[in-house]
Amino acid sequence: MPYRAGERRRTLAAAALGRDPGPAPRSPEETTPFDVVSGDLLDVSPHLIILETAGGEQRRLVIAPWATAWRGGAVAPADLPAGARVVIRALRGGTVAERIWADITRITGVIREVHGRRDLTVELDCGPHRRERSIVVPYRSSGRIRVRHPKLEPGYLFDAIGLFDQGATFAHLPATSQPPYRATAAPPSPPAYGGGQAGISGTAVWADLPDFAEEGVAKGVAYPMLEREDSGCDDAGVSCAGLPYLAMGSLLRVRNVCDGRTDVLPIVACGCLTGRFCDRCLECGTSPRGRVVELAASSYVALGGDLTKGCFNARVGLG
Amino acid sequence: MLSTIAAAALPILVVTLALGGVTKLATAGREESPGALARLGPAVLMPERFARPALYACSLVELALATGLLVVDHPAARWLPVAFFAVATYVLWDLRRRRPDVGCGCFGDVSAAPVGLRSMGRVAALTAMAALVAVQNATGLPALTGETAAWAAGGAALLLALSPEINEIVSRLRHRAPCEQRPMPPGRALSRLRASEAWRAHAGSLLTDEPSDMWRELCWRFFVFPTQGDAEVVFAVQLSGRRPAVRAVLVGADGHVTSADDRGDASLRESTPVSA
Repeated sequence: MPYRAGERRRTLAAAALGRDPGPAPRSPEETTPFDVVSGDLLDVSPHLIILETAGGEQRRLVIAPWATAWRGGAVAPADLPAGARVVIRALRGGTVAERIWADITRITGVIREVHGRRDLTVELDCGPHRRERSIVVPYRSSGRIRVRHPKLEPGYLFDAIGLFDQGATFAHLPATSQPPYRATAAPPSPPAYGGGQAGISGTAVWADLPDFAEEGVAKGVAYPMLEREDSGCDDAGVSCAGLPYLAMGSLLRVRNVCDGRTDVLPIVACGCLTGRFCDRCLECGTSPRGRVVELAASSYVALGGDLTKGCFNARVGLG
Repeated sequence: MLSTIAAAALPILVVTLALGGVTKLATAGREESPGALARLGPAVLMPERFARPALYACSLVELALATGLLVVDHPAARWLPVAFFAVATYVLWDLRRRRPDVGCGCFGDVSAAPVGLRSMGRVAALTAMAALVAVQNATGLPALTGETAAWAAGGAALLLALSPEINEIVSRLRHRAPCEQRPMPPGRALSRLRASEAWRAHAGSLLTDEPSDMWRELCWRFFVFPTQGDAEVVFAVQLSGRRPAVRAVLVGADGHVTSADDRGDASLRESTPVSA
């Protein structure tokens, strides 16, 4: 079954049900997302950063005096190397860089194999739509990784934040505490008792989603509760957060409950592993159990998330 | 007296074994719950890769024992259930000690509640019934008399009282998941669509019998069929209710609605609320 573009699906569904195809207007307590610029770093000085976006456009941003940068740790923005892949949280219409993350990657998968004695090499299965990955846990990071991931054994889940460097991926920070169960034994969602509810609360995380360019920015989310026959993802349809079934192309209204930033984002990928994590996010309070959505890095930053933290408390609802 | 009780116990054993076998087969064959087997008694005792085969083997053994009790006139057919239930009693006792968090899996995923005294009492009662049947050499279905029926009803009541699954079944019936959280195969929605008025009204104009796209959103499944002039017919099939609503609309290539069925006053101008 070929997938239709999400926009066309939304138009057809709206026509069949007689509803407005566009997203509902933003309510007064919801604030607009940050501007985000991402691309490859061309040049940087203490006051100016120049990068090339995925669309080939060159962007010049002023670096704010209070700006911070991350590349495996806190660094001065001027020390970032040319060629680094950067995600920038920007102010004033995308002209002033406030936070910069360089070469950051999210490593989420099921452990297939672990070898090595000092530096550990971990083979991960990242789901049917994402390739298998081989990552390195350097000795200097292995202590803090192992504290949160006590079972570095095949079959268990792994979730860390790492760095691309010279073609290799290095895990630096644990993104969550490893679930104590195997990836195939995710607990079921709590019993549902019916009744209408405007949204579902839980944990929003970010992931290296493939680029789905809409309006020039890679926006979108991966969502776990998709029908397997529709999405072609045999691992979909598992969630411990009690999510409803949606489809590729459905619009999700994602709200960061910490600061109220809200955006309406299309579902662009299958969150095969998202539903298998039943963790809580501890940013500005404790979230209900379960991951509800996996955001592209740009969308996550736009909603006020910090890529090195790995999650924020979110509330999601249909467009 | 004892022969009457044995004659009453035999159908109870047959039904229990058959029910256990069928429900275990259904649980093992179900694909939508990948982690479910890891929480059920017979499977949790095995390495993960053998969990499903173990559940299949257990269910086939139960079905074979039930058939043997009914049709085989040999003492082995009556003593094997005794051995089976005696081993099951030990397994449950051991499971309760070693894995107090998992269910017995006696009747598939309905038996997901942790093993308790009721489950163990039930299997011990079944062992006693099987022993009585073996000692009395009862076989085949008994002649229905008032006394046998009374003993059978008593035995069934005892087993029901010792079944923690009753609570789970009542809970599932009372607190059924809302339809947007229930899996529903596309084939069932397609057959609902093909039995509808809206389908009959548009079937003649469709270029193909198979949809060019389909997807599900909450309680609705959408099917798109190409029609003349690059237009498309979109069917929306509701996934809940005995007589689900089916809506159809003809949409041009530019996205404008060319014709629509009567939607009554149920038009959804806003997002459908999400139940959780």
